[in-house]
Amino acid sequence: MEIDNSKEWHWFKGGLVVSLLSIGTYVVFQAIEHRSYPFGVTSGFAYISALFGSMFNDLAETTAVKNYLSKAYLEFFILVGLVIGGFTASKISGTREPEGIPATWKKYHGDNIYKRLFIVLVGGILLGVGAGIAAGCTTGNILQGWAHLSLGSIVAGASFFLTAVIAAHILFYKVWRTK
Amino acid sequence: MILKIIIGLIIGFIFGYALQRTGITKYPRVMGMLLLKDFKVLKFMLTAVILSMIGFHLLGELSVIKINPKPLDWGKLVGGLMFGAGMGLLGYCPGTMMARIGEGKKEALLAAFGMVAGLFIFILFNDFFKSTFMAAPIDGNLFAVLAVNQWIVIVPAVVLFSGLIYLINKNFSDNKKIF
Repeated sequence: MEIDNSKEWHWFKGGLVVSLLSIGTYVVFQAIEHRSYPFGVTSGFAYISALFGSMFNDLAETTAVKNYLSKAYLEFFILVGLVIGGFTASKISGTREPEGIPATWKKYHGDNIYKRLFIVLVGGILLGVGAGIAAGCTTGNILQGWAHLSLGSIVAGASFFLTAVIAAHILFYKVWRTK
Repeated sequence: MILKIIIGLIIGFIFGYALQRTGITKYPRVMGMLLLKDFKVLKFMLTAVILSMIGFHLLGELSVIKINPKPLDWGKLVGGLMFGAGMGLLGYCPGTMMARIGEGKKEALLAAFGMVAGLFIFILFNDFFKSTFMAAPIDGNLFAVLAVNQWIVIVPAVVLFSGLIYLINKNFSDNKKIF
């Protein structure tokens, strides 16, 4: 897939907007929620998992479920906002290209949709378990954690890149070998 | 309650909008970075990190906010490696996943399901994960651990990241076709 960079924001503009959002969110959170770790996406997902968990008697009273349910309410709506934001941006800029699985994937791995969906499901589960254990995803551990120079986030963020680069090179070894 | 919903939606909307417009949601862009050939996503991330690093610590110095660094434990490494593998398989992270759903990329729905399932596993075996990986955390405050003034770390970090952006910007074009 050809990428038309002229249709996209400059990376500096994107970085500036996100850094202002990240700082603004932190200030707002400490003012109204009286807690830290504000700008994260993982807790929103964990809120859904905890809602599901609260339906089981054995899990409903555990600290993990109670914790996420009491805290991550606002973060759940960040997820909803992300979907609306992605939709609006792609509509306004005329870059909305709905597709099942990525065209780039098809080009190198063929049209077998189940192969890709299997990878997606495994990848999604790894993201979930990993983000739970590492206490945050790319947003929480890199965009915020690196900015805070948190020791934990520096290790987590570096680990993200290490295995992500390895996985990508295994999946696209043809691309990697050609140039 | 309604205030929290609105704030969550606004944060998510701006984040999703910026991610989509900057091209961070694009599969070839993220895979291009992980294959070490297209660095727009990295430049965007480092820009956001540099700017918010300065912003956060200035506001911290002025006592507007209190920075609460994430502690270091084995979970950051183990969870980080798992998360990275998932990110490499998927070609996006949890935040961009939601923006991609808004863009009409249908497979991201399955990835989101996997993420929720993964976090459910984390909640289900929370005691095991907590006692195995997250026990005995080290204070995440880098400046306290090194016992130096924070700006002695921040200034070199900003210089290092800026230098990295300068170098990759000089050597890699954002317009290059990779796949």
